[in-house]
Amino acid sequence: MLAATFAVVAAAMVMLDFFDPATSGLFPPCPVHYLTGWYCPGCGSLRALHQLLHGNLNAAWALNPLTVVLLPFLAYGLASYALNEILGQHLPKPFLPAVWIRALCAVIILFGIARNIPLHPFDWLAPAGSLLP
Amino acid sequence: MFCTQCGAGNPDGATVCAQCGRNLQSTPSLSVQPPGMPQAAGVYVPNYLVFSILTTVLCCLPTGIPAIIYSAQVNGKLQAGDIAGAQAASRNAKMWCWISFGLGLAFSLIYGLLMVAGILHRMNR
Repeated sequence: MLAATFAVVAAAMVMLDFFDPATSGLFPPCPVHYLTGWYCPGCGSLRALHQLLHGNLNAAWALNPLTVVLLPFLAYGLASYALNEILGQHLPKPFLPAVWIRALCAVIILFGIARNIPLHPFDWLAPAGSLLP
Repeated sequence: MFCTQCGAGNPDGATVCAQCGRNLQSTPSLSVQPPGMPQAAGVYVPNYLVFSILTTVLCCLPTGIPAIIYSAQVNGKLQAGDIAGAQAASRNAKMWCWISFGLGLAFSLIYGLLMVAGILHRMNR
């Protein structure tokens, strides 16, 4: 699972650096948005990562604030897994109480619902919503 | 002393790691669980939380949600001392991560094939 994740992450990072998912058409669209027309919690995350790789924090935030917030934690988690597998060394591994994980799950689901509400201020949560006039 | 699991510094003589909850008493005679401590201290059961969030946010699929819920169950059952239950939840979390990843990959491949087919079609016209 680790090797698969890192292969995908590394390939995606290189591709994302060179091509903007917003314009290139090279990246697959979000399946949920493609099939249902609704935004999912992850819609805009690839475009946000592209903007982050180019140093545009504001644009990334506008495309998917959840991704920007979660990214440092995910990066730490992945680094921790990788160090453990490759070097056998541990980074400090805080134990998350189950309540926190359930709360995070609720945040992800609520974010997914809220960004589909076509009313102010929820429309700010839609991809690029806060950049619209 | 330093925790053997997470490396955090702990006061000498501590029974469990303040950081990750691992039992720090190596000799069996001292490993009696203090009252109120989780039974599962020292047992590591992977909860695949990072992978479940990655597949939820990047594969954009609702199948990532059960993976996160099973991740929460792993830690909840560890807190309750139910190691067998935590291991079962861990297997489920892993399975849903792979389902999400597989579905995301399948969708991407189908999308890629359709795109190539579309380009070829346009070139032949």
